[in-house]
Amino acid sequence: MKRILPFIIILVVLGAALGSAWYLTRTIPASPATPTVPASGSPAPQGSPGTQQKPVVEGVPGAEPAHVIGAANAPVRLEEFGDFECPPCGLFHPILEKMHAEFGDQLQITFREFPLQQLHQHALAAASAAEAAGLQGKFWEMHDLLYERQNEWKKEFNVRPIFEGYAKQIGLDVERYTRDLSSDLVAQRIFQDGKRGHSLGVSGTPSVFINGRELSPDNMPAEKLRIVIQNELRSSGK
Amino acid sequence: MKKLYAVAALLSLVGLADALYLTIEHVTGQSVRCTFIAGCSAVLSSPYAVVAGIPLATVGAAAYFTVFSLATLAFFGYGIAGKLLLPVVGAMFLVSLWLIYLQAFVIREFCQYCLLSAVITIALLMVVLINRRLRG
Repeated sequence: MKRILPFIIILVVLGAALGSAWYLTRTIPASPATPTVPASGSPAPQGSPGTQQKPVVEGVPGAEPAHVIGAANAPVRLEEFGDFECPPCGLFHPILEKMHAEFGDQLQITFREFPLQQLHQHALAAASAAEAAGLQGKFWEMHDLLYERQNEWKKEFNVRPIFEGYAKQIGLDVERYTRDLSSDLVAQRIFQDGKRGHSLGVSGTPSVFINGRELSPDNMPAEKLRIVIQNELRSSGK
Repeated sequence: MKKLYAVAALLSLVGLADALYLTIEHVTGQSVRCTFIAGCSAVLSSPYAVVAGIPLATVGAAAYFTVFSLATLAFFGYGIAGKLLLPVVGAMFLVSLWLIYLQAFVIREFCQYCLLSAVITIALLMVVLINRRLRG
């Protein structure tokens, strides 16, 4: 008995490990398994990612006017809740740029502020910088710079001069930008976007909604997101 | 020292639980976003978190399970298992050093669960080395 006891213990531990892993991955579903059924009648590729299992959510309105690129009547509307200091958001940024380049006016992209202040010390400052730039019509220029140079500023103690440098670089009236940073309008916009995020159940960033349905985090890589968008396009008959 | 094999088995169980948690985070996609509670997103969403398509956390879980099996067998008198412990734990230690380097100098973010894993591996190496010394 003593000779086989260690093997029994090892098997019990292996069973417990595999069982708990199976149970936990099953109870925290990450990816919607059912792909979008295309309107054309041809089935979507098997196992292709979709957003169909998630319900369409409306939520309260965010800041208006929203930061939008792409046509107003685009068949696919993508809404991102982002935090400029969040590393996965920084990784998601080039993916969205790629999707924008590939799908053009068929894809409308909206950015919503969702700074995770408990987690990121400069998240609010970065959101304010982007919103202040937005008041001069250069939100996307600042948005791009903040994401592309995330590693440059996120470890700094004082990001104000760095963001001012970005403001200069994109041709903002720096005096007005500095004034706007602490304005009620900027604070209200961030608050309103946050309120919308909370009403949609957003708890992390990036959180992405496609035509009102939440995109599973593991469908965020470019190749999967592309399929989701293509499926949405097929559903809309475009 | 039979008791030290039991200590090594218990340590590897903690490491196994830690690595399993990280694997689940990876598989469910939780690691690819920043959330209010998780601080590991930068590390777990980095390209270093996957080796040949397999999450590094899964490789870690397999390694800890191997150590647990060897330590348990050694505890019950299987001498060969005790001899295999040092090369396995030594390799894990070297990988841990490399991962700490990546976190400190390449990703420039630390993940507490990855650090816990490194601490467990260091402790395992010490236990195995002490055991080897005591056994002469």
